Amino acid sequence: MVFDSLDPRINRLNLHLQRQEEYKSVSLDQLPTYEVFLQLKPDKEYQHAGIVHAATPDTAFLFAKEQFSRRYTCTGMWVVSSSCVWVTQCMELEESIYDHLPDDLHETKESMSAYDIFHLYQRGKQHKHAGKLMASGHGDAVIRAKQQLDQGKPVLNIWSVKTSDVRTTGKEDLEIWSTLPQKSHREVISYRAGEKLKLFKEKKHGPPAK
Amino acid sequence: MGHRQNNTALKELLYRIADDLLILGHRNSEWTGIGPLLEEDIAFSSMAQDKIGQSLVVYQLLQELGEADPDTVAFTRNAQQFHNCQLVELPGTDYEFSLVRHFLYDHSLLDRFRQLTGSGYQPLAAIAKKFMGELRYHVLHADTFIKKLGTATDESKSRMQKALNHAIPFALGIFEKSPFEQELITGNIFVGEAHLFEIWQQEISKIVSDTDLELPDLDFSRAKTGGRTGKHTEHLQPLLEEMSEVFKLDPGAEW
Repeated sequence: MVFDSLDPRINRLNLHLQRQEEYKSVSLDQLPTYEVFLQLKPDKEYQHAGIVHAATPDTAFLFAKEQFSRRYTCTGMWVVSSSCVWVTQCMELEESIYDHLPDDLHETKESMSAYDIFHLYQRGKQHKHAGKLMASGHGDAVIRAKQQLDQGKPVLNIWSVKTSDVRTTGKEDLEIWSTLPQKSHREVISYRAGEKLKLFKEKKHGPPAK
Repeated sequence: MGHRQNNTALKELLYRIADDLLILGHRNSEWTGIGPLLEEDIAFSSMAQDKIGQSLVVYQLLQELGEADPDTVAFTRNAQQFHNCQLVELPGTDYEFSLVRHFLYDHSLLDRFRQLTGSGYQPLAAIAKKFMGELRYHVLHADTFIKKLGTATDESKSRMQKALNHAIPFALGIFEKSPFEQELITGNIFVGEAHLFEIWQQEISKIVSDTDLELPDLDFSRAKTGGRTGKHTEHLQPLLEEMSEVFKLDPGAEW
């Protein structure tokens, strides 16, 4: 049996109904994930927007651009493999993860690299970029973050990312968002569907009864 | 050179661009919902939407020059009245062909509009500048996939190569000369198809040389021409009928 769909594109695919074999999900049948961070305005901190599946950081960047910056404004995007994000334990309510971290730094001879630290201040909200610092590893980075980035406001969870793992936006890339504020056709509201429906109903049934 | 003649040349240029954008936008939108993976489906659909939006802007320029309104122009002409190259009307039978076409066509479009930012016809120069950002992303998308799939596995390379071999003669047809070529050049409106072809050739050769793919012969004698003067493949008329099906139910409807 061939699908007969209302959508001509589906009919062109000549899909044959297959009911004999049950679909079996295969483990690892998805590409790896990448975390996406957006800067919505210049001078505003980057914040987590979501994830995309992709084969490489470059394709992740392409997908993230259309996935998470289709509307509103965007002045920068960072993309990093989920496997490169180091995550602390998550606290409840007003408790800060920083209160559970040691104060003393472990002296180390390992070489230092740049790390980006992200804070979660409220459950259900996005992680926000808190700052950049030099550290010898992820563990070292969060202890240094306690000294350098803890503002006293409870931080429920910390993400640490090595800066060299991040695919960032170059100045020359910024042009790709230049017409974003004009793309009102991507806003549901610009079609004024409610207003048109109301007019249509009034035309058909007369003005609404008071 | 009279003003009137100049307008005819300009209109012909604008129709080529707008019709290419409309037809390719429609063809690419056919992948919406059935793209190879969700994220790519969204990205490719979004670029198709950009192309249809760009075609609208160019049809509006034509309207200012005395042509009918964009909806009438887009939805009521038959295939012989379309000035698009044959490349854009070919069915997107498989994704590799759609990607290769996207790569070959979008480079020509970026180059064309880059040249038009310096056009002596100011309204065209202004929209060319406006389109730069969108086109930059479209070409980045295309180049990334050509480089990735052109170097990945034997299967990906052979499929991309086959698509490239099939697409090249049609891609050469993008640069079919206008009967008003000389007027456009001397009128400082556009640098001309021959010049554009040179730039395009250099750019795509550079990208393809970073892959394991082989760029077929770009000799212009192989070009599939005719599209610019209304000679199309059998694929355009059915596309136009499908595209205008809803419009024709109620041409006066407000959307």
